[in-house]
Amino acid sequence: MSRTRIIKGLRGLLLLALVGQAEAAAPAKPNAGTSAHALAQRIDALIEQSRSSKDVTPAPLADDAEFLRRAYLDLTGLIPSADTAANFLASRDPHKRAKLIDERLASPDYGKHQAETWETLLMVRDSTNRRLKSEPFVEWLKTRFNENQPWNRLVNDLLTVTGTQGDSGAATFFIALRTPDKLNDQVCRLFLGVRLECAQCHDHPFAPWKRKDYWSMAAFFSKVRAGGKKVGKGEPEVVNESGKEKKAPLPDSALNLAPKFLGADQPKLSASEPYRPALAQWMTNPENPFFARAMVNRTWAQFFARGIVEPVDNLSADPTGEPELLKELTAEFTKSGFDLKYLIGAICNSQAYQRASGAASEGNSPDEHFARMAIKPLTPEQLYDSLAIVLGHKGETPKEARKAAKEQAIKYEPKSLRAKFIAFFDVPDGADPTEYGTGIPQVLQLMNSPEMNKGSVLLDDALATSRTPAQAVDRLYLATLSRYPSKAERTRIEAFLHQSTRTST
Amino acid sequence: MANVHRSLACSRRELLRFAAAGASFTSLSGWLNVLATRAAETGVKPKSCILLWMEGGASHKDTLDLKPGTKDAGEFKPIATSVPGIEISEHLPQIAKQMHHGVLLRGMSTSQGAHGPARYYMHTGYREGSGGLVHPSLGAIASAELGKADVALPNFVSVGGKFGYGAGFLGVRHQPLIIEDAAKGVANLRPPVDGLRFGERLGLLEDMERGLLRTATSQAGHDHLTTYQRTVALLRSKEAQAFDIEREHASVRAAYGESAFGRGCLLARRLNEAGVPFVEVFSNGWDTHKDNFPRVKKLSGTIDAPIARLITELESSGRLDSTLVIWMGEFGRTPKITANQGTPGRNHYPRAWSLALFGGGIKGGQVIGKTDKEGAEVIERPISGLDFLATVCSILGVDYTKENPTPIGRPIRIVEKGATPIKELVG
Repeated sequence: MSRTRIIKGLRGLLLLALVGQAEAAAPAKPNAGTSAHALAQRIDALIEQSRSSKDVTPAPLADDAEFLRRAYLDLTGLIPSADTAANFLASRDPHKRAKLIDERLASPDYGKHQAETWETLLMVRDSTNRRLKSEPFVEWLKTRFNENQPWNRLVNDLLTVTGTQGDSGAATFFIALRTPDKLNDQVCRLFLGVRLECAQCHDHPFAPWKRKDYWSMAAFFSKVRAGGKKVGKGEPEVVNESGKEKKAPLPDSALNLAPKFLGADQPKLSASEPYRPALAQWMTNPENPFFARAMVNRTWAQFFARGIVEPVDNLSADPTGEPELLKELTAEFTKSGFDLKYLIGAICNSQAYQRASGAASEGNSPDEHFARMAIKPLTPEQLYDSLAIVLGHKGETPKEARKAAKEQAIKYEPKSLRAKFIAFFDVPDGADPTEYGTGIPQVLQLMNSPEMNKGSVLLDDALATSRTPAQAVDRLYLATLSRYPSKAERTRIEAFLHQSTRTST
Repeated sequence: MANVHRSLACSRRELLRFAAAGASFTSLSGWLNVLATRAAETGVKPKSCILLWMEGGASHKDTLDLKPGTKDAGEFKPIATSVPGIEISEHLPQIAKQMHHGVLLRGMSTSQGAHGPARYYMHTGYREGSGGLVHPSLGAIASAELGKADVALPNFVSVGGKFGYGAGFLGVRHQPLIIEDAAKGVANLRPPVDGLRFGERLGLLEDMERGLLRTATSQAGHDHLTTYQRTVALLRSKEAQAFDIEREHASVRAAYGESAFGRGCLLARRLNEAGVPFVEVFSNGWDTHKDNFPRVKKLSGTIDAPIARLITELESSGRLDSTLVIWMGEFGRTPKITANQGTPGRNHYPRAWSLALFGGGIKGGQVIGKTDKEGAEVIERPISGLDFLATVCSILGVDYTKENPTPIGRPIRIVEKGATPIKELVG
């Protein structure tokens, strides 16, 4: 990478940072602020209550550096810059953590991170949709998360979408999943917190849901179609449900049933009307017993790597965990008008979220009652975006990005460096977020690839802003680990630098 | 929890040896000795598998199941093989000479007619997307069931494929190491700095990470460490030389031919010798909707010599009986010849098709299953995808009825119920 491109890249980053600050200065949403703090306290009180009967000592609160890095990665999907870290660590503002949470929630990176998280959850990639572009969907989600659109409205709009990917990015969901069973699996799991797919072929011995429950929910997707007459000739696919279509062909295990809400009534639907609006209306109604609860539990799991109750997406199956906490947060989330930033603000301001990840002491079971934070390996997206910050380049210039996007439009192959990297580091769907999913080929790339070994921006910056080797080491630690080195670490790095100078001469 | 503590305590000790890893691993010859000893002790050699995948679906009527003198028989003539009465395409003359080691399954009959779902089905035995899962492919199953945890080399290597079928819910340990082209070897295997500096860097990494591991008793930390150790062990190991086909004599390389597939077969043989239980090699371009005859002729010429050479080399090193070689694609091609944009072609055809098995201790020189006179219907001994996968598992000594847990703990059988292994092969 040439010097000028690096400078251009840095300038771009600075501009981005400025845009971020401008966004942060915008007035806060009505529900953010004090009520989020009150709810945070309520979270801690409820956890403390259930913990008090057990012999569990919670870990101390994380120090500022641990909190900063965690909040950046969890809320916006990347690590802070060296300057941000230095400023945050130096600040004596007693409210700096709450302020940082507000600032991250207001950053456009928040919507991007949420959008990518949900795109990964919603889309199931297989050979039939391998080439389908996901960017329109991510864009669609990003806008809505950044505007903090109420969750029930977002889901309603997603479930009732019509048109092409160009008309609405949400169409991607129906073009990708296509069949009633696939759509039903995802919708029940993600929006209702019910894993129905085991009931697709047989009645499950221990779960309350039967085959007829599965297929009468799937029937709501029996009339939606993705297609078009000239799709093979390059025209985009269109999602439509005019109400007059014949039902879609179903797999052998299917039962041909009329649509019926899960655990509730059979709606009166005429043959000529579309089914999805009725489903969306039932699901996203504040009275729905599944909808808010599923989102609260899943959002919690996004920050703690574990649901308030587990399994995170199977709340009907005799859950374990903190059912009281889930009940109260669900009520609050519903009352707030499905306000996600309020919910997330409350979660992140809680002491439970801000605990250290190290064990409190040897011998107790630190994972119970959220007594410490779980270790969460970086997702491929977090890893790439954080590396881009550390190495000081975004991997491609705007011109290259446009060229890659154009090629992608033609060949439908993920061309950008970022897309390739993410595909290479991808982990299986539904993998435990505390699991380390990196294999030997990925480690080889991180260790030995030219891309990872050419980045001198980090060193240039460290040298340019430091007067002594010790300062340079500080700068490197701030940039990569968002903290200052310990005394032992500083000594060790300085020894390494001496060693390297010796061996390279 | 106690287990995690113990393994972390152990890994801390291992960590001290991190920078020196590689030296502590057994050498290639040592490895082979271990294998030899194990075989001598039990009398049974551990099985392994080389899957030769004809991407796109090879025309059965123009390769293994010719129908001379019938409608749409095509341009190719059958030739005799080393087994009296068995004939295959004239463009596979060297494979024909190895027929006594092989079995032709001419009664394959499956239901998936599109590439993606068919590839998925024949690699995993499951309908793509069923149960909301990504299922492990045969290679990942072999890695889990036959692979060893304490070796430098990965247990599943995939060469030259455009589409990876990996570990699915079995997780990262069983993902294939993917090689784009055997000529290039493993991507990024070589450190960007010399051995001394690389060692210094590892030493620094080791010290930097010690702090994290001391305070956090997490499985992820442990796995991270293990993966780095295995990576370093691999790149410093003598076994990694198995990836370097340049180490073969020029005459051997020439025998495998100049094609990517030929190089892949040579690499597969080297990895097999080094103890890798599953290697998949792709031959691309068999989707012959157009120009079927010139293309199948050319492709046949590309694969004939390397496959025959692979079989003879496995035989001469005494490894053929313990190594199953599978030649297959996702389906066959239509018995009818269609004019696609003016050139004769054949389209996708899962209803009746053929594949071949060599070695692995099976009784060679057989044909199992039969199609009608135009190769359109199976009229004798039909074999489903599940039967086939159960057969392969049985040959490899894998219990195909075993259940593996998914991330949410659902038990999923290696091969679904309803499969019957082909007795003529296994018994």
